[in-house]
Amino acid sequence: MHLVPNLLAALNFSTLPEQLVNGLLLGAIYALIALGYTMVYGVLRLINFAHGEVYMLGAYVALFASYHLGFGPNSTATSSSLANLLIMLFASMSICALIGVIIERFAYRPMRGQSRIASLITAIGVSLLLQYGGALFLPNSPPPSISENVNPYRGSFVVPLSSPPPSLAIAVKQLGPEAETKNKALQDYLASHPNESEFSLSPAAQPLKDQAQDAQRKLDDAKRELANSGVNITIRNGDVIIFFTSMVLMIVLTYLVRYTKRGRAMRAVSHDFDSAALMGINVNSIITFTFVLGSALAGAGAMMQATFKGTTITTFFGLLPGVKAFVAAVLGGIGNIPGAVLGGLLMGLAETIMVWMGYSRYADAIAFVILILVLLLRPGGLLGSDKVEKV
Amino acid sequence: MSLLKLNEATIRFGGLIAVNKVSFELKKGDLFGLIGPNGAGKTTCFNLITGVYKPTDGQILFDGKDITGTPSNKIANLGISRTFQNIRLFKALSVLENVIVGGFLRNNTGLLSSLAYLPGAINETEEMKQEALRLLDVLNLRQVANVRSADLSYGMQRRLEIARAMATKPKLLLLDEPAAGMNPQEKEELNVMVKKIRDEHGMTVLLIEHDMRFVMSLCENIVVLDHGEEIAQGPPAAIRNDPKVIAAYLGEAV
Amino acid sequence: MFWPKRIGSGIAAIAVCFLIDSITHHSFGSYEQRIIALVGIYVTLAVSLNLINGITGQFSIGHAAFYQVGAYLAGFISRRYITDAGHTPPPVLWLIGMILVAAAGASIAGFIVGLPSLRLKGDYLAIVTLGFGEIIRILVQNTDALGGSYALDKIPKIQEIWLIWLLAFICIAVCRNLLKTARGLTFLAVREDEIASSAMGVNVTRVKVTAFVLGSAFAGAAGALLAHYEGLITPATFTMDVSFIILTMVVLGGTGSITGSVVSAIFLSYLPEYLRTLKGGDGQPLVVSGTAVVAALIVTVLAVAAIKTVLNRHLFTPQKRGLIYVGIIIGAAMLEPLFSLLLHPVPMLANMQVAAAQLRMVIFAVTLIVLMLLRPQGVFAHHEFSWDWVKKILGKGPVPSTEVSA
Repeated sequence: MHLVPNLLAALNFSTLPEQLVNGLLLGAIYALIALGYTMVYGVLRLINFAHGEVYMLGAYVALFASYHLGFGPNSTATSSSLANLLIMLFASMSICALIGVIIERFAYRPMRGQSRIASLITAIGVSLLLQYGGALFLPNSPPPSISENVNPYRGSFVVPLSSPPPSLAIAVKQLGPEAETKNKALQDYLASHPNESEFSLSPAAQPLKDQAQDAQRKLDDAKRELANSGVNITIRNGDVIIFFTSMVLMIVLTYLVRYTKRGRAMRAVSHDFDSAALMGINVNSIITFTFVLGSALAGAGAMMQATFKGTTITTFFGLLPGVKAFVAAVLGGIGNIPGAVLGGLLMGLAETIMVWMGYSRYADAIAFVILILVLLLRPGGLLGSDKVEKV
Repeated sequence: MSLLKLNEATIRFGGLIAVNKVSFELKKGDLFGLIGPNGAGKTTCFNLITGVYKPTDGQILFDGKDITGTPSNKIANLGISRTFQNIRLFKALSVLENVIVGGFLRNNTGLLSSLAYLPGAINETEEMKQEALRLLDVLNLRQVANVRSADLSYGMQRRLEIARAMATKPKLLLLDEPAAGMNPQEKEELNVMVKKIRDEHGMTVLLIEHDMRFVMSLCENIVVLDHGEEIAQGPPAAIRNDPKVIAAYLGEAV
Repeated sequence: MFWPKRIGSGIAAIAVCFLIDSITHHSFGSYEQRIIALVGIYVTLAVSLNLINGITGQFSIGHAAFYQVGAYLAGFISRRYITDAGHTPPPVLWLIGMILVAAAGASIAGFIVGLPSLRLKGDYLAIVTLGFGEIIRILVQNTDALGGSYALDKIPKIQEIWLIWLLAFICIAVCRNLLKTARGLTFLAVREDEIASSAMGVNVTRVKVTAFVLGSAFAGAAGALLAHYEGLITPATFTMDVSFIILTMVVLGGTGSITGSVVSAIFLSYLPEYLRTLKGGDGQPLVVSGTAVVAALIVTVLAVAAIKTVLNRHLFTPQKRGLIYVGIIIGAAMLEPLFSLLLHPVPMLANMQVAAAQLRMVIFAVTLIVLMLLRPQGVFAHHEFSWDWVKKILGKGPVPSTEVSA
């Protein structure tokens, strides 16, 4: 098909590495949110529709924290510190944890004996309540965002991946002086002929302009070729922080789930609710713990997204990331913690690649397509398994 | 005349062989019992016959046709119907309505006729209602025809499942522990009813049961399973004294 | 005797629709007329969703997608054929034609969305239907020929309120007819227990697909009517929230109860308009303070908790229980000003002004949550309106529990 070569020709492969890095960063945030979905589904078999809204509230918490630290809309503070960031992170994580616990206690726990559909509808209700109720009380338009000044680590660095062939650099070097000379000649002429301007030259002077333009054009072309042939990735400091913080949080979570008593209890509950209770596990306390962990991670993700990426915040901004993170959890295998991380990274990559290929308009739709494909073809996800109903 | 024949039917779930080369044959008009200790694979056999599971090996023949692996809703069409070990009634529907659903199989009004509530659909619904009432009479459930099936007593629910299965006008009726949870008098009545089903309605019956006395007094032929394998077959007298059967149920003699 | 009776009731239904239409036109201005039109459309949407969710038990929560397909299909064709190309077909006939086209198109979408229901259950199916809905919405939003994210406009306005309500009547009638026949029972059976249904010979696949196709066809038809009533449609009319609103109507009414869907559709689609008309003391649209809203929410939570405790612990007679509920609600209403007062010191809340109309989605959300906590089977549960039922409430005579009974 002609489509594919044309498609490929339109792609700029030199920007691909940078996009892949962006994809992983986006994926790290999705992974943090996805962990919340997957853990709650694991213990309660409930799709926590409201999780995206917990994420949203985390962003608002970070916003208000930044105001309190002196970086409000009318402030003039320009220097910040690591301490400020840590305070914001702690605030987001802890308040999101609290919100998660409240939602569980008042909306989900009473629904525990009911059908899963009823719980799903309740979750949808909570989600809508937070979105629209929040819209009544929280600043929505114009949508606020966290001031850049809060981040003491602004700036970025460039990682060159491959250097351009030396001939290109030499060409640029060679063409430079000539363009300069020709341009200077033109300017000198114009200076000494005040009645002529660059756009109305006498026929005698026209060649001067032509030559100058020619030389300049050659130089520009050479420069562009140079830029496109070398592959560089620009990484912002904030991105590095996001990635490392996410990794640290996930490692902490893995430790908690694998090596502590509570973590073991969590895994027991996710295997078999009733047996775990019979074994003496305080199921309510474990479920609360699960919500604390999941919501705190979402809060962390929200704080980082809002602070380092400067995203504008509205009460509806958790909806789409929430859905995508949910798909990530399903993709990796819902209930499976490493799966959520894998799924998150893959979703981030998929979305970024869609944008890179020029289909940014459909970047959101890809999440739903992936969701449907996974549920139809391999409902257990990449790291999960299929189940059969017993008659 | 052979009605149902299992020919070395086998099914494996991962590493577990739930049913291992089981063979037995029912003749038309039989009252056949399938017994064995818990976990022997009896319900799994039913599931194989009714198409809930597909056998990994072996064959199942019904009325001369190979039905191995036929999906479950076609099985009913072919003339095999069943009840379930864990009762699966349509809880929100009344007793009568449960039976009507069974009878629906043998109808032929189209969708449009129902949607438009045309005389065809109306009459056929009325017919099915009358037929269902007749079946309820046989199973002694007429007086609770309009009660929500979830509100029935356990014994009545079991009888309702039988009525519903009978409504599909099967040639072979599979009953999965029909007497479970019944008191002795109810079991007596069930015994009579099952014989009546065979005698007056012409259905061959294959049943799974744990109550030995019930099986011995009702069934004319019995097959015994243990750990997925068939260990004995024959009339009740032979089974009662078979050492392998006794060992399977009571353990080896010390 | 059948055909005269049937034709008679058909004529009566059409007459009622014309009656609604003419009363609307004579007594109300165009604003109110539009509300009545929208209410009629929502009735069709709710009842058609109930067919899939409540009657057949397939959790489909992306219903707005079928609505959208019908609206855009009909709108696009009308726009091209009439506005752009300049034809002038007789309006009512054209609209009916467009309704049929929209229904057909939407039913194809319904078929596609229904296919996963053959393999998925419960909340997984719900998410997939939601996903399909969003994909359709995004595709439409990115198709410039359909107006993209702006609007498909210049659709010829053909405003026939009687036709809107006639569609609602037909939808109700079809569902009711189905449930009066044995075939309808098979739909309920699939809802109750698929494995048992299949064992009884019910073609579960066909039942599910039929439900989806029928439900989506009616939703598409409603979409065509919407497009021609407004003359203009945008993707914003068909977001996920609209699906949730229709879902709330079905859930509130009682999954499986056609009567319930109709009543709650009328109630819930009128509610936002009612809120908009509320006037404060100064004749301006009613505005409530933030403290009042939060106080109301807190009081609702307490009332729900109280009712749930009562529900769980004791077995009262229905009359006594009714009295207790009323008591709790009155108590809650009286506590609200108290909480309002307590919250007054919080400056952020006191200064906030909330227009009554903004509370619409919040009320929907609270309705969903409260419903699920207190009465998940909905207000009408599985009951339908029937004269026997009226007799029961008045204490006369026994009642058959469902339609087809001895």
